[in-house]
Amino acid sequence: MKSKSTNETIGKTLVYTVLIVFAAIMLIPFIWMITASLKFNKDIFVIPYQWFGYEPQWRNYLDIWTKIPLLTFTKNTVKLTLIVTFFQLLTSSFAAYAFAKLRFRGRDFLFLAYVATIAIPWQSYMVPQFLFMRRLGLADTHLSIIILQAFTAFGVFMMRQFYEGIPDSLCEAARIDGMSEYQIYLSIMLPLSKPALSTLTIFTFVNTWNDFLGPLIYLTSESKKTLQIGLKMFISQYSAEYGLIMAASCISLIPVVIVFLMLQKYFVAGIASSGVKG
Amino acid sequence: MTAATTVKTTSVEEANRRKLKQALVAYSFIAPNFIGFAIFTLGPIILAMIMAFMEWDGSNPWKFVGIQNFVTIFSDDRFLASLKNTVIYSIFTVPLTLMIALGLAILLNQKIKGRNFFRTVTFFPYVASLVAVAAVWNMLFTPAKGGVINQLLLNLFHIPALKWAASPKTVLMTIIMFSIWKNMGYYMVIYLAGLQNINTELYEAAGLDGANVWQKFKYVTVPQLKPTTFFVIIMLTINCFKVYDIVYMLAGGSNGVINKSAIVLVYYIYEEAFRNWNLGIASAGSLVLFAIVLAITIIQFSGEKNYAND
Amino acid sequence: MKKIVSSVLVASLAATSLAACGGSSTPKETAAATTAAAAAETKAQEEKATEAATEAAGGDAVTLKWALWDASSITYYQPLIDAYKADHPNVNIEMVDLGSTDYSTVLGTQLSGSGSDFDVVTIKDVPGYMTLVNKGVLEPLNDKIKEAGIDLQQYGGITDQVTINDNLYELPFRSDIWVLYYNKDVFDKAGVDYPTNDMTWEQYDELARKVTDTTPGSEVYGAHYHTWRSTIQLDGILDGKNTIVGGNYDFTKPYYEMVLKQQQDGVCMDYATLKTQGLHYSDAFAQGNVAMMNMGSWFISTLINKIKSGEYTDCTNWGMVKYPHAEGVEAGSTLATITALALPTTAPHKDEAWDFIKFVTGEKGAQVLADTGNIPAMTNDSIVSAIASMEGFPQDETSKEALVTTHTYLEMPANDKSSEIETVLNEQHDLIMTESSTIDEAVQAMNEGVQAIIG
Repeated sequence: MKSKSTNETIGKTLVYTVLIVFAAIMLIPFIWMITASLKFNKDIFVIPYQWFGYEPQWRNYLDIWTKIPLLTFTKNTVKLTLIVTFFQLLTSSFAAYAFAKLRFRGRDFLFLAYVATIAIPWQSYMVPQFLFMRRLGLADTHLSIIILQAFTAFGVFMMRQFYEGIPDSLCEAARIDGMSEYQIYLSIMLPLSKPALSTLTIFTFVNTWNDFLGPLIYLTSESKKTLQIGLKMFISQYSAEYGLIMAASCISLIPVVIVFLMLQKYFVAGIASSGVKG
Repeated sequence: MTAATTVKTTSVEEANRRKLKQALVAYSFIAPNFIGFAIFTLGPIILAMIMAFMEWDGSNPWKFVGIQNFVTIFSDDRFLASLKNTVIYSIFTVPLTLMIALGLAILLNQKIKGRNFFRTVTFFPYVASLVAVAAVWNMLFTPAKGGVINQLLLNLFHIPALKWAASPKTVLMTIIMFSIWKNMGYYMVIYLAGLQNINTELYEAAGLDGANVWQKFKYVTVPQLKPTTFFVIIMLTINCFKVYDIVYMLAGGSNGVINKSAIVLVYYIYEEAFRNWNLGIASAGSLVLFAIVLAITIIQFSGEKNYAND
Repeated sequence: MKKIVSSVLVASLAATSLAACGGSSTPKETAAATTAAAAAETKAQEEKATEAATEAAGGDAVTLKWALWDASSITYYQPLIDAYKADHPNVNIEMVDLGSTDYSTVLGTQLSGSGSDFDVVTIKDVPGYMTLVNKGVLEPLNDKIKEAGIDLQQYGGITDQVTINDNLYELPFRSDIWVLYYNKDVFDKAGVDYPTNDMTWEQYDELARKVTDTTPGSEVYGAHYHTWRSTIQLDGILDGKNTIVGGNYDFTKPYYEMVLKQQQDGVCMDYATLKTQGLHYSDAFAQGNVAMMNMGSWFISTLINKIKSGEYTDCTNWGMVKYPHAEGVEAGSTLATITALALPTTAPHKDEAWDFIKFVTGEKGAQVLADTGNIPAMTNDSIVSAIASMEGFPQDETSKEALVTTHTYLEMPANDKSSEIETVLNEQHDLIMTESSTIDEAVQAMNEGVQAIIG
């Protein structure tokens, strides 16, 4: 009995040591980011690196808003991210249900086609896609970014894999009870897939928030650009304002972390199992 | 039409009609995503596949050249180097990331103090903008003797200063380490969500049978996570084969020069498409990438099917 | 199953044909549609007021879309537009910022197909220029130049180097030359004489070694080379006998030997570290322990502005001299980089756009550039002295003299394959400087690689 509890203590200590070392490795770069965001540009790349004991340049956090229209960029990014995430969740979880729980001709082929297209690098079909979108009059509109991001194969693939993990017997039982497929999707699958939906929300949010190449090609007028394009504006032809980049990066990290903190509470064991019981 | 009545129906015609209706319902589920996907993504992708057999610079008319583009890339040192680097990179990155992500997910699924903090911290590198974290990483892994990591290695293990991303010998290793560090949080989150699908009763039952932690992991966690693992492996493989910006940020450095020791497939494709404007060659390159990933996916896919039939 | 496949194909083929015909068919309708859309857009924006004003003035209001980069940090765009509008109140000019880092990629994509609505595009570098010329999306300017009676001699012969098959597709408005910057304080402290306007490479090397201090903790670097290949490789073309697109690079060897030796002796910072760390050359110079640095004249305004704002405190006492030269070559030969304007074939308002291009690349535009501290492509004595009399410009005669050149060579002359050649040269430069290849191996690889490209 005694040995078991000492073992447990040792185990616990070990786990925490590992976790703390690990967290440090993860965090050092962010501490660096914050310290760099408070420096003059010329002082950032000095070796050995000064972690503290310098005069903080709080001005960087003011300059980022005046040097470029960062507020407009932030508003645009928020708008795009919310709309894309909404559509992505809706259409992906909807389509994934059919791929996971319904039988129909061509299912496997269609699914494989979905997955395989993820493998094609965007760089190779970007030009024809852009020309096509411009034909439709969508160049330099937010709608173009929404269309590009909202119907991805990725979301369908991910949701389908999570639905696979939910026992078929649940759906069968519901069908016998006379529920239509739409009802099963709405009242059984959706509530059960909260962890998966949270994951997809986080990923879509992060992806859209950090997307650079899409907005770069499609959005040309200043009033429509996004945060990530703004970040790059601090790297100009003849200079690179790393102090400002770091300051803006720190700011832009906040919303994403908030979303993550809000949604990760759904990663709690037992939702699916209680569903089975009920 | 209710389930109770369909059980009684026996006529073939009825069965067919039922199948058709089922298919229609299924299509109605898929349609909202598929229509958008087909028009705006699949269409251009098929176009790109056709383009692989054409000569096109984005403006002048298309010219059919047969398999010339493939001949060109397979006799280009830079392409062959990019293929080799991409494969090496994937071979290391896929299993390592997978294992670390799974380990972390299991660890952070336990009831431990500060769980939310650790989860968030792990996810940090993925979320942060690449420009910023790459700059940080490059500062830490600087080839200078006075760099943080080089000092650490010297003091702890007496390893002389390494050149990291600046040397052809260590550049891939540096990229692999960085990419594991940056992406493990992402796959951890997927696993974390997957773990929530496992019925806790299974663990309880295994516990009653006297299974230890390892056995529980092997006989409950791993099989139950199979769909998630399938997803993670496919996505990891695809993402590894499509690696691009990480390489550009780490190996490109301040002058953006990426030599044969670090070039990867998508960088090659990018270079051909947007520096040299050989869109046909770029498409041919991505078709090669597509073929490799498709083969891996089909193998995995049939593996998953076998599991489902068990 | 078959049905789905075929319906997928039909859908995608529809998309295909739609996109494909973008390449050839008449674009009138779309062009009209896009201009209408563009016009509606601009109206929605601030310009509304000005447009109304010009309409009241009686002219047909035209809005020109101008593709450029760094709209917020480059100081001459707005003054150029204002100066032009003073004479042409009925023309509005909308700046479209495509970003600096990916400018050529974005511009190339925007000008693909036939639906672009840019009236004027800025050309950032020669490979970017070649790309657009090869794509056939730039209007040849020869006839227009002849008609307008523009004397190309004003550009000091630089336009010859971007003439392709006897035709010119761009007109330069800004031309930067390379000079040698130095920090007077560093020389004073070491008790060494300043560099001069007439130095050979040997003298330069000697001087750099004289001011160098390798004491750990208080290093002084005699020279600094940014990671670009131009800082070393191109020193070799200044004798006028060699070209960077010729396929033989043996002439670069002495320069690589000199710099590599300096690097090994701690005379300059280590390339590998500079590359990975991404230390910007301006920050390297600003740290105050760099004695000399070869860089383009664009650095002048950065220096002046950052010293004025108080960010740079350790290089306030700077000067510049002409580029060092090879033995037996006249001083004043240097590298040049031009920034130019071009007219896309799809431009909706070609006549107005050409008029604007003439203005910017002409005498009035040159004056605006000089007033903002930049060297216009059309240079004469009065413009040079205007720049040299700017506040913050070093007051010694040598620095003023440094801006006068005898021969200028483009960093990359116009060549069909310039971007492919650049890839080979960059790669080998990197291998030499990280000491992964020997100079002989790398030069051999350059020769073979480039010869394979140019055939």
